[in-house]
Amino acid sequence: MRFLSLLLVFVGSSLAQEVVAYPKVYWENSYKVWLAVAVIIYLVVAIPALYFMLKYRYRKGVHEEGEHIEGNTALEVVWTVIPIIIVLFLATYSFANFVKQRNAPEGAMELKVVGFMWGWEFEYPNGKKVYAFFNPQSYTAPEEQKAYIPAGKPVKVILTSRDVIHSFFVLPAMITEDAVPGRLTHLWFQINKPGEYYVLCREFCGTWHSHMFAVLKVVPEAEFNTWLSTGTPQQTQQ
Amino acid sequence: MAVAHAPTGTWYGATLKEWIFTTDHKKIGMLYFITSLVFFLVAGIFGLLIRLELTKPGIQLPGLFGQEGADLYNYLLTGHGAVMLLWWAVVIWTGAFSNFLIPLMIGAKDVAFPRLNAFSYWSFLGASLLVLLTLIPGNWIKMLWTGYPPYALNDNAGPTALYTLIVDLYGVSATAGSVNFITTIIRMRAKGLGWTKLNLFVHAIMATNLIQLFGVPALLGAVNLLLLDKYFHMNYFNPALGGDPLVYQNIFWFYSHPAVYVMILPAFGVFSEVIATMARKPIFGYISMMIAIYAIAFIGFETWIHHMFVSGVPDWARVLFSYTTVLVGVPTGIKIFNWVATLHKAAIRYNTPMIFTFGGILMFLIGGLTGIPNAMVSIDLGISDSMFIVGHFHYVLGMALTFAAFSGIYYWYPKVTGRMYSEGLGKLSFWLMLIGANIFYFLQMITGILGEPRRYADYPPIPSWVTLNQLQTVGAIILGIGILVSLINWVKSLKGPKAEDNPWKSPSLEWSMTDTPVGPHNFKKEPVEVPEDWHPYAFYKGYHTHV
Repeated sequence: MRFLSLLLVFVGSSLAQEVVAYPKVYWENSYKVWLAVAVIIYLVVAIPALYFMLKYRYRKGVHEEGEHIEGNTALEVVWTVIPIIIVLFLATYSFANFVKQRNAPEGAMELKVVGFMWGWEFEYPNGKKVYAFFNPQSYTAPEEQKAYIPAGKPVKVILTSRDVIHSFFVLPAMITEDAVPGRLTHLWFQINKPGEYYVLCREFCGTWHSHMFAVLKVVPEAEFNTWLSTGTPQQTQQ
Repeated sequence: MAVAHAPTGTWYGATLKEWIFTTDHKKIGMLYFITSLVFFLVAGIFGLLIRLELTKPGIQLPGLFGQEGADLYNYLLTGHGAVMLLWWAVVIWTGAFSNFLIPLMIGAKDVAFPRLNAFSYWSFLGASLLVLLTLIPGNWIKMLWTGYPPYALNDNAGPTALYTLIVDLYGVSATAGSVNFITTIIRMRAKGLGWTKLNLFVHAIMATNLIQLFGVPALLGAVNLLLLDKYFHMNYFNPALGGDPLVYQNIFWFYSHPAVYVMILPAFGVFSEVIATMARKPIFGYISMMIAIYAIAFIGFETWIHHMFVSGVPDWARVLFSYTTVLVGVPTGIKIFNWVATLHKAAIRYNTPMIFTFGGILMFLIGGLTGIPNAMVSIDLGISDSMFIVGHFHYVLGMALTFAAFSGIYYWYPKVTGRMYSEGLGKLSFWLMLIGANIFYFLQMITGILGEPRRYADYPPIPSWVTLNQLQTVGAIILGIGILVSLINWVKSLKGPKAEDNPWKSPSLEWSMTDTPVGPHNFKKEPVEVPEDWHPYAFYKGYHTHV
């Protein structure tokens, strides 16, 4: 009995794995379901195909002609209807997760982000700004170019661009949305574990597209609030 | 009656002048084939350079002529994409294969408009020569084959005018070609060849050309508006002047998504030809195969928004197009199931065309299944513009399509050249390509799942990304060697053993009613007529003796 309860705790804890970031969880839901379906379909098709290839070989003088079969209506109906059901299920399951991925929870902090060739401008609710400029030599950013993010708090990003189209990809949260000049687009994310994470540009934007990154410094909320209130907007602006 | 000029011998026996002024579909097909193949190799070398650049973090390509190494990378990326898609994946079918084979398969002496056909080739060659001009450093086009504004309007993107002129000439050629082949297939079929008695390759080319006819004008519209925007200061796409860049993406993908079916439907056609012939069995479910081709072409026009899932279109549009996109999987699935069913109780010959086709189908299955997450909008939010999508479309185009093209080249090699290719080299080439491409593209998809963005000249030195990229380069080199083996085979085998008229014992007209190599007048007996119970896939006992 004691062993069983221990086992239950163990299984339970592994199931209730700590969520590092939202909305990656919803992305993973869809991804896992697709992967399982895809592997099953692959095996269901590839195994018979390989088996037929090996079994029904041409042998000169012994087996030179295949059987005269031109089709089978019942079978063809089956493999039309079943795929329709499978793809509609996948699209609908993805739809359910998509709704959660797109709609930020109530009370999310609004962060205005403007992309430009090549860098990102972050504007916090109190007007404080951080600029992350591209660095052709490396993927590290100086301290003043890091955008601070409170750990465990949802952040809603309002995106636009100053010149060409960019895309704001939050690597740990597996979410991206284009920054389009003349339009406002949005995404949200929440990172629970403090640390430094990449934002990468995911829409081709010229020479330094590959170095158009920003570092998100995720810190506990109290530290974030201190950081946010230090330095007036004028001082941090370049 | 004495004819002033009565050609005898083979179809290719002609002087240089005759090659230049020819209106013969077989010669034009060969001109297309050689042009397409040369550009395939050039784009392949571009691809290898891209792969070498990505082998380790940092920018390895040299800065040349006042431009950064990253600029050279962007040019290589543009060239590789545009040329592989338009010069190889499209023209190998709409130019090379269809020109040589369609009149032979439907029992016609030539296409409906032979001079228009020649015009189509020469304007295509004009576009090709303009492409070669981009090799000059000042002419580097660096806006990728998609040419999205407002970036395409920026000087960083390179000469947009050159890009527009190339696409214009290419589009003229494509439209002329599609009109020609649609007319040919509708009007020039031999007596007794109803719509249900055509090779599936003919149906595929018909569907392909319908897509070209309706789609190419949209592409030309989009790129010409770019020209007006950049040089005549109009403002269709420039948001600074009140335009909208998403309008371009809508018009562009309205053609360029269906264009992927222009590439893959003829590949399906080749799979059907080869699998029926080599399995010695009629194709399973001919009617459903035929309907599936046209269904794919039709549904393909209703899915373009899936290229724009993260570009800021409304959420409802993303969900709607997510559903239409996954539905393409249904007719595609039908085709795969029918091919597998064709193998059931067959008598399968293991030769080079067959193993390329069988490998191509199994790889297409991976390409198709990995297409679904790009259509499932929830997954796409994480993998849009990542290496995953690159791996996915290389499974479809780099493997399924290229295997189909190689399978087709081997399959019709005896008919075109009159010689037999080397089986040993053909099989070696297949295994090298299969292994190399799988290492390459499968790992590419995994780096995409780990988040690596596409179109990056350099990437953060995350250890797993670095290792996976290095292995991909190994795969790419094996793939390159595999392709080289086939090229050697095709050249060397021009002096190979003489081929029979119908080495595959096929009732299909291009095999059963022509000489090998094909004579100048195509058929042994004119006019071409087929018995009531004839069918191109009638592979049952003693059947081919009917024709």
